[in-house]
Amino acid sequence: MLSYNRTIKPVLNRIGSMPVAILLLVLIAVASVIGTVLQQNQDQTAYLQQFGPTWYWTFRALGLFDMYHTWWFMTILGLLMFSLAACLLRNTPRFLHEMKNRKGTLSDRARSHMAHKFDLSLNDKNRAVSAIKSSLPDWKWIETQVGDVLWLRGDKGRFHKWGYILVHAAMLVILIGGWMSVQFGFRGNMAVPEGKTESEISYLKGTGVEYLKMPFEVRCDDFSINFFSTGAPSEFRSTLTILEDGKEMMTSDIIVNEPLYYKGVRIYQASFGDGGSAVTMNLHRLNKVGNIDVAHANVYTKYEDPYSEATMEFQDFRPYNIENMAEPGKAKDFKDMGPSVDFVIRSKRAKPVLIRSFMNPFDLNGQNQGSIMMISKSGDPRDFETFMLGLDFSDPREWQLFQSFISKLPTNSDATQQDNLKAFQAALREVYPEGNPQDLQMLGMRVLQALKLLPDMPWPFVPVLADFDQAYYTGLQLAKDPGMDVVWIGSALLVFGLCIMFYVAHRKVWIQLREEDGGVTLEVTGLSNRNPIAFEQEFEDLEQQMIAAYGQETEQEKGATV
Amino acid sequence: MSAVATLLSSSSPLFQGRFAHVRCWAYLGMMAGMAAMAMFAGGGYVEDEYIYQLFSMQGVIWMAAGAVVGIAYAFTTSKDKFRAFRFSEILVPWIDGAVVMLALMGIFILFEPAAEFISYEDQSNLVSGRVVMTMNVLLLFSALCYIAFLFAPDSFVGKLGTTTAWAGVYAGGSALLLRWYESYLFMGGDIGHAPVSNLYEVFILLFCVICVIYLTLESRHQVRGLGAFVMPIVAAGVFFAIWLTSIGQADIKPLVPALQSYWMKIHVPLNFVGYGAFAVACAASAAWLLRNSIEQRNPDSKMLAVFPSLKQLDQLSYKSVAIGFPAFTLATILGAAWAAEAWGGYWSWDPKETWALIVWLVYGAYLHARFSHGLHGKTLAWWAVIGFLVTIFCFVGVNMYLSGLHSYGTLS
Repeated sequence: MLSYNRTIKPVLNRIGSMPVAILLLVLIAVASVIGTVLQQNQDQTAYLQQFGPTWYWTFRALGLFDMYHTWWFMTILGLLMFSLAACLLRNTPRFLHEMKNRKGTLSDRARSHMAHKFDLSLNDKNRAVSAIKSSLPDWKWIETQVGDVLWLRGDKGRFHKWGYILVHAAMLVILIGGWMSVQFGFRGNMAVPEGKTESEISYLKGTGVEYLKMPFEVRCDDFSINFFSTGAPSEFRSTLTILEDGKEMMTSDIIVNEPLYYKGVRIYQASFGDGGSAVTMNLHRLNKVGNIDVAHANVYTKYEDPYSEATMEFQDFRPYNIENMAEPGKAKDFKDMGPSVDFVIRSKRAKPVLIRSFMNPFDLNGQNQGSIMMISKSGDPRDFETFMLGLDFSDPREWQLFQSFISKLPTNSDATQQDNLKAFQAALREVYPEGNPQDLQMLGMRVLQALKLLPDMPWPFVPVLADFDQAYYTGLQLAKDPGMDVVWIGSALLVFGLCIMFYVAHRKVWIQLREEDGGVTLEVTGLSNRNPIAFEQEFEDLEQQMIAAYGQETEQEKGATV
Repeated sequence: MSAVATLLSSSSPLFQGRFAHVRCWAYLGMMAGMAAMAMFAGGGYVEDEYIYQLFSMQGVIWMAAGAVVGIAYAFTTSKDKFRAFRFSEILVPWIDGAVVMLALMGIFILFEPAAEFISYEDQSNLVSGRVVMTMNVLLLFSALCYIAFLFAPDSFVGKLGTTTAWAGVYAGGSALLLRWYESYLFMGGDIGHAPVSNLYEVFILLFCVICVIYLTLESRHQVRGLGAFVMPIVAAGVFFAIWLTSIGQADIKPLVPALQSYWMKIHVPLNFVGYGAFAVACAASAAWLLRNSIEQRNPDSKMLAVFPSLKQLDQLSYKSVAIGFPAFTLATILGAAWAAEAWGGYWSWDPKETWALIVWLVYGAYLHARFSHGLHGKTLAWWAVIGFLVTIFCFVGVNMYLSGLHSYGTLS
């Protein structure tokens, strides 16, 4: 049989003891450090790459990739709750008892250990008592008569011990709230493209992804981004409509820091991305004809070229590309490079690369530098290199001019600069019969640049973004947290308890009044559990105060008798 | 000179008795007037315009009306009552300090260059940068004075250290206020925000907090010797802030959407009360350790006379933790409240949150060791020193080495 006193009580005492509590706190702290050093909830393949198979599987078995939700971390937290509860169970009755029952007397031995004491001799006992009480006005007094000796005990800040009780109870409440959040709540993400409806959230559990159906549907009517003039985003705003069984329940805007609340679920603006924008690409054929084909596609889809084996997988679209154009160290100069599209291009002749194609030509100090393209050979956007294509591909006539110029270029090896120039002029006349364009000089430079670069292109065409119809998706976070209010209550208790603990000192004074041959001898002893330096000062002042108060009492009495 | 010093000391009649009492209620009345204007005045409360409203005729009328009501109330309370009313004597110097900072800011605004000489791209014209540099010089000088004081306790360098530290606090505080004002000067005012949004700004705040906590302890407990341990911490921070300036981190930048919340103005400063107090606790403990080793090696050392006693240092270290721990707890809780509003959960085990928890656990364990185990002296002193190292990592290290939701503080 388990008897309470023999079996359970020692166990409770052990678990509620300080060393165990400290051990648990240290364990939590150390485990937490691991969780911050090792980035949590990343892609599993990234972990595998980073650590190699041995460590990857070791860490994975220990659950270190989602450490804060592993059984062992939860167990430590559970043990901490248990320890707190045991500590409270053990100490609360004692504290309450101590606060309620105050011993009015003090033994000589106890007094000899105390630091703050003085003796005082006065004439009249009653006047001494009232002098004591008036020099410590807000104190609570009890009087105990032991034989012919009167004991006065005064207390200030007697509820100090409530601080301990509150703080520890508050920690328990907070942990219970956290447990309720995990147990009965959920938190997950939802990506809703503009104009579409979604009702399922996804969240990470361990190393996998799980899905949960919401009791309602969310439609994203609109998503917009506002920018500061520096190009930094100032606001992400989604207009959401909540639907239940196809019926519109409410429509509301949300921004970061201002979530939407619907039936216990909070909907937060968390992220955004491209929601499958429609893009139109002009494919400038690098063949004899040099015709331009038009390709229509959407982001996240693949375009297969019918005339070659090249494919383009569209990954992202950006309506703005705000870049700092200044030299490093100079004053910043922000400029919008215009819309761009990211895609991976694959063909027979070349390795797949990531391309960012801009719709607008690059303009430097009002001079048209032609279209640009960024290419990343590794497929990582951080490795983008910029290439000046030369021609302004947004103007189809420049491509015509280029084609005409190539066809007219003399093929024999002894052609002079003069011959080339003639070919260029002939091409100009053909494409611009109405007269030379205004920026002829820049145009010439652009064609020359194109002549240097384009023939080396490994793909059958030069893909350039021509048109788009943008659509965002809004990344929402949906959370239901039934434990949250419990946590707030616990937090309030915690702060309140801490304030009592730190700023309320329990100060005690014992005064023994012994009547001796017409006079009265006072033995005053003081004790404070906080702030001994301040109390020392206070206690030194007390003697003067008592003498002064005694003097006043005497004068008042004299006045009364006169 | 000494007359001025007496007048400014905490025992002067300026900060006691009826004068303090009336002033306190005038201040409280003004604050009530400000709050009332936000609630009831025409147009209502618009965050970015409120500060301008305060300094307009309308604001002056509301505040003056509040002050008059406050003063009237102060005069209706009896003489006995205000004598027992220590509240005003405690509160008034703090508000006085804030008013002085505001006045300094008002003066500095007069030196602000004309609008056409100020641009977002080149912020070197702003006055606040110069005021911060002044603060840097003052604080570094103060640190030198305090160290010199250890070796020359009878000379005036000690007083000079205290004075320059106070001057540094006022320079730093007014520079931050000025920076707040300046953030509205660019781009039609749409990037204006409180100056607690990046490492550079919070460093200035941290210097002020450390200095104020230390200087208050110094004036209450006569422990000038401690300054030689506190101010070098500040000085190290000053060098870090100068380095931040040199790599262009001192610019006013627009706030990312996640930071655009009134919580920022509460959560961040409160956190720095915690960090600042832990810094002072660390300094007191370092002083304890040094004094202890001097006492053991050379008990007749003259320097011991300058140091506060071991007991005092132990107490001061605890006192600082007692200021810092509740403030840090509250700051963390308010941070959780903000997270619940912005990120969808009050606790996400984000590195910054987790390290805040670790700091909290370290100081929680410190308090347990002190009270439940009655631990004092060497172990506890080391604990406070190491606790501050953990705090530094939580404050700067997390931003520099770990990525997470708090990544606004990162160096770029």
